[in-house]
Parts: sequence; C-alpha cells; structure tokens
Amino acid sequence: MKQEPQDETESRKRLMTLMTRHQRQIFGYIYTLVPNRYDAEDLLQETSLVICEKFDEFEEGTDFVAWACQIAYWRIRYSRQKFARSKVVFNQEILDAVARTASTMTSELDSRHEALGNCLQKLHPRDRELVLTRYEPGSGVEEAARRSGRTLQTAYKALARLRKLLLDCVSNQLAGRGAT
Amino acid sequence: MNLADKEILELNELCHVLVEGTLSDAQTSRLAHWLATSEEARQFYVRAMGLSASLFSYASEMQTEESDTTAPAAKIVDVGWWARWAKLGALAAAASLALVLWLEWPKQPTLPVPAPTDELVAQLTGAKACQWVDNGSSVQPGGRLHKGQKLELAKGFAEITFDSGAQIVLEGPASLDVKSAWAATLNRGTLKASIPPEAMGFSISNPTVEVVDLGTEFTMFADAIGSATEVLVLKGEVEAQPNAGADQQPIVLRERESRRFATSGVSIVHDSEEKFAQLAQSVLLDHFIPPTDYMHWSFNEADGDIFKADASGTPFAAADLKLENVLSSALAGAHSAGRWGHALQFDGHLFAKAAFPDISGNTPHTVVFWVKVPKDANLSNAYAMVAWSMNSKNFGSHPIHIGWNRNPNEGTVGVLRTDYGGGFALGSTPLRDGRWHHVSVILIPGEDAKSFVEVKQYVDGRFEGEGNPSPPGSEIFSKLSGATSGTVWLGCRLGINSVRQERFRGEMDELFIADRALEPWEIVQLMKDNQLPQSELAAAKKQN
Repeated sequence: MKQEPQDETESRKRLMTLMTRHQRQIFGYIYTLVPNRYDAEDLLQETSLVICEKFDEFEEGTDFVAWACQIAYWRIRYSRQKFARSKVVFNQEILDAVARTASTMTSELDSRHEALGNCLQKLHPRDRELVLTRYEPGSGVEEAARRSGRTLQTAYKALARLRKLLLDCVSNQLAGRGAT
Repeated sequence: MNLADKEILELNELCHVLVEGTLSDAQTSRLAHWLATSEEARQFYVRAMGLSASLFSYASEMQTEESDTTAPAAKIVDVGWWARWAKLGALAAAASLALVLWLEWPKQPTLPVPAPTDELVAQLTGAKACQWVDNGSSVQPGGRLHKGQKLELAKGFAEITFDSGAQIVLEGPASLDVKSAWAATLNRGTLKASIPPEAMGFSISNPTVEVVDLGTEFTMFADAIGSATEVLVLKGEVEAQPNAGADQQPIVLRERESRRFATSGVSIVHDSEEKFAQLAQSVLLDHFIPPTDYMHWSFNEADGDIFKADASGTPFAAADLKLENVLSSALAGAHSAGRWGHALQFDGHLFAKAAFPDISGNTPHTVVFWVKVPKDANLSNAYAMVAWSMNSKNFGSHPIHIGWNRNPNEGTVGVLRTDYGGGFALGSTPLRDGRWHHVSVILIPGEDAKSFVEVKQYVDGRFEGEGNPSPPGSEIFSKLSGATSGTVWLGCRLGINSVRQERFRGEMDELFIADRALEPWEIVQLMKDNQLPQSELAAAKKQN
C-alpha cells in the first residue's frame, strides 16, 4: 500500500538517521567479506539502494545494522553469481563462515572502532601520518611512502608493524575496560 | 583452542598482504584454510579487517576536515566513498534527500585539532641554581612557555612540564626548543625526561636522533655541536630513530639500555654504567607549586534538593548546590550511583546552580569532574555540563560552556567542547558512550582584553584540545553579563541574561573547581585518588 506523504516524510527521516549512524558499520561488514576498498564501496552503494527500496519492510525496533548487513550479504552473493570471482575472494563456504562470525561481532567492532581513535593518538605523529595517508581516499602505500620520504619497501614494512601495533593497542584497551 | 603466537603472526601477515592486494596464490590458499577451519582465526580476521575499515573512516574524516579548513565555503565533501554517493543522483526523491544528508556526515572520533602557532604549551615548574644565558632567554618561576620558545640554560637545573604531562629536567649548560605540548628539540646539553602513560608518544629530537617515548624515563646527552647524542633508558622503553648515518632503522631501547647516535652511525655508550650510577642520584628542585583553594561537590549526600559543598584552603564564598526545575517526587531519581559514591543525574529537564562569586573573576580556574553521557543523548542535550559567566571584556557576554560538541562542521560530534568568548576548544574522545570519563578544563583568562586566553582540556587524564579562535563571523559583545555571573550552573545552557531551554542529559560526579591552573600530573592524581595532592605532598612527589 502506498504511504501517505506525512508517513513517507517520517520514514525518510528515519532512514536518513539510521544510515547516517550506521553506514560505517555496514561498510566494515562488506569490506570484511570483500577485502578490496573500491569493490566494497561499490557494494555499499548497491546495498544502500536496496535499503532505500526495501525500507518499508524494516521493522521498527529491530536491529537495523543486522537487517542492512543481511541485504549486503545477498548483494555480495549476487555479485559472486553474476561476476564469477570478481569482487569476492573467498568461496561460498568461507564467505558464509566469515559472515556468520562477523555478524556476532558487531558490538565488539563498534568498541574497537572507538578504541582505535585513542590508539591512533598514541602513535608517533610520523607513524600516524603514514597510516592515515595510506588509508586516505584515492591513496595507497605508494602515496604514503612518497609523502613520508620512505622507500616503498620501508613503508610497506612500517604499515605491517603499525597495523599489528594498533590491533594490539585496541585489544589491550578493551581488555583494560573489561577489567574495571 | 587459542591461537599460538606463531599462528597469530602468520594470520597478521596474511591479513596485511590481503589489505595491500599482494596476496599470492599460496597465501590465498593458506588464508582460506584458516578461515574454513578455525573460528578463532575467523575472529582474528574480522578484527584485522575491521581495523582497516575503521582506518578508511578515520582517514577520510581527516581529509574531510582538512578540506573544510582550506575551503570553508565548500560544504559538499568530494572525497572518498562519500563522493560515490553522488552516483545516487538519479534516484527517487527519498534516496536523493538521503544523499544530501549522507554527504554531510557527522564526523566520527578523530584526532586532536591542530593548535594555533602562538599557543602556550609548557611551564617552568621547578629549578635549582638556575641561570639563564641572557635576559632574552630567561624564564620566570612558574612562567608559561610558548610553542617555539628557545631555552638557553647557562647552569643549574630547570624543570619544564609540558601540557601533555611530559616532564623534562634540563641540566645546564643546555639549549632546548619547546616545539609543542608533545615535542621538544635538545640542541645541546643534558636532560632527563619523565613521561607518564598519559603523555606516551612525547618525542625529543636533535640532528642525530629522535627519541619517541613509549611510557618511560630516559636521559639524553647531546654534545655542543650536535654531532652526537647518547640516550640512556632508566625505566620503560623508547623508540630511537637515528637521523644520521647509513642505517636509520628505529631502535627500541629498554630499561638500562643505552646507545650513542652520531653522524657516523650508532654505537654503544662506553661508560654507560658510570652514567646510570650518576643518574640514580636525585636532584632536589625548588618547585613553584602555589597552594590550591578549591570547592568540591561530591554529590554523595543530598538534603532534599540541596547538595553540600566542601572547601579546602582559604574557602571560596561558594554556596551549596540547589536543584532547579525538578519535582519533589523526582528528587530520588536525580541522585544515582556515581563514579565515587553517588552522582547527580540530569534527566534533560533539571539543572542546578550554586552561588560562586569567584568563578566570574578574571583569574585562572580548573574545573574537574566525572561525567557519563548516554549513548542516545540528543544534540539538544549537549549544553552544558558546567557553565558560568565571566566579568571580563575578554569574554564579553559570552558565557563559558563545558559540554560536548554537537556541530559536525566544527569537529567530531560528541567530543568534549568548551566554548568561551572568542573561541572554543574541542577534544577527541567521544563522550557519548555510556561510560564514565574524567574531564578537566583549565581556563587562564588574559590580564586584559588584548591578552591571549588559554583553554586546555584533559579527558581521562590525557591532554586533548586547546582553545582555538572562533570562526570568522562570530562576535564578542562588549556588554558584560550580569544576571548569570557569580554563579556556577550545571546541566543547562546560559543566555545573556538567563537560562536557556537546552538541558544536559547524563550523570556528573565529584565536581572540583580549583583557583589555579592545575598541572597535568595533579589532574591525573585527582582522577586516580579523587583528592587534590597537598602542596607539601606534591613537592615530595616531584622529588622522586
């Protein structure tokens, strides 16, 4: 049944609020299953279109991120069927297993995202700049190496070390919170 | 079964090459095996990939902020995946409307705001037989130090406390440049650095080496011509990056380890044992710690709608705190379990006030409290945790508000924000997480209308955010505030003459207002012990 204009406006507002709040989490879920930034962004875009189309099916009060990730999951499967291995590294069995694990970790990943902000601050400014340059839109290891005056090989190694450092820092922060 | 260290290292490497797009066929098979057979491996993988996804978000936000700074008129963000939303332009009305808002995304937790160039970033907090090279480089006891200031010590000892909490004792003859709250350059001479955990990442550099603290105490000896520097680690560890020589790989030095960094390369320190023995002897410094007067509301005991104040030192003329806009039936709900004992709970309607004439005087203050902001707090609940007005032309009729940022155009939504006449300061830790955070705001008003106003923020003991000038267009009124001055207000936003409609929602505990700028380590002590160290105790602590 077609929505009344007033209801439609409210529904749009609600959708905007939810997408504004949760886009990062949905992207994170997609990127975990499709570990290529640009493919993941394309899939996020496609997923968002489906979310817009199907939003009247979303039940108020239920978990929006879980609902949106379900839509993302089916877009990823569809992408796999349509483009063979394009956009998806893993086979169906692994994709499903990782998707199941990821769906149980959304709350932890939110906490990890917040903790990462603190951990980034603890990095030496030179290291922080290297990491953030690497992850800037349109950038990569080459650009990060160029801007920091490092060789490609040194930047590559430094990034591996810094990712591990950040991963451990985040885990330590969360472990510390749990203990208090 | 937990993953062994070796397995974690392998998974870490596999995730790294996957993120960088250099995964070989053999590595693809290996990763597939792990993900198909081990739940722990899948969890590690999800965390590692989640880290990269978060870094995309942080990096994108940083670039967005830079873009905003350089081109304030360009409201539409045209970078990163945000820009890809532009492809949605052909969508139906609902989706198009969504597009506009998604482009103006609220900023996620991000990094500290760059500081203005003329800021004050450190202080001379102690000395012994201290003589400066000339009048131009002399520093008065307790004097604040500018970013970029050069200190030329002829003889004696000078203790410098940076706003980050890092502390350096410089031994003359020595020359040091104060670069920021987080960095210094030792041109020549000897220094001993003590870095608390809150200042981890503080660095000291010179032409031969850059030493980044990883939570420690260390000493540096730099020769007069800047050709060699010795680094000795007394506690913890540092990362030392040689700035000269053929091999410039960083070296991690741990407790009782030392190295000599010269233009010719890195070598051992021959007389390190002798030097460590010398360093073990402590130097008694004269400290410039003035006595502290403060008011404290613990919120532990309520008498109806009144919360008692207690004072230390020469008592302020401050009164007990009275709740406003609350029904008697709701009083019990306003008194909840706190970080220490009980807390005052703001429901989005009630506020509180206490007569406090000194707060509006043109003198430094430090406001310290614990706060818990619910995850679902609305933008209308951002103002204010604490507010007051100043009888100073520096602030005009703009009250001072300590709250959380609700303006995504100016910074991350939800971080600590202090507004004052002429500027605002932003933190970087998101406060809207339903957890207790320790908040300290130091306000040092200038002596006259032309003086620079200092505002320093600390969250959970860590320095984050100082005052920045207001964006163009903001106006400082010349009319002084009257109706709201001489009172400290909690949980509400102040207008020029009265309380406005906006109310803070959340909990507050252990509010201290001190009559001077507390040092970073005093803030940490207050956070840990819920009491301010007494002057004599403070002096003793600093002799260690």
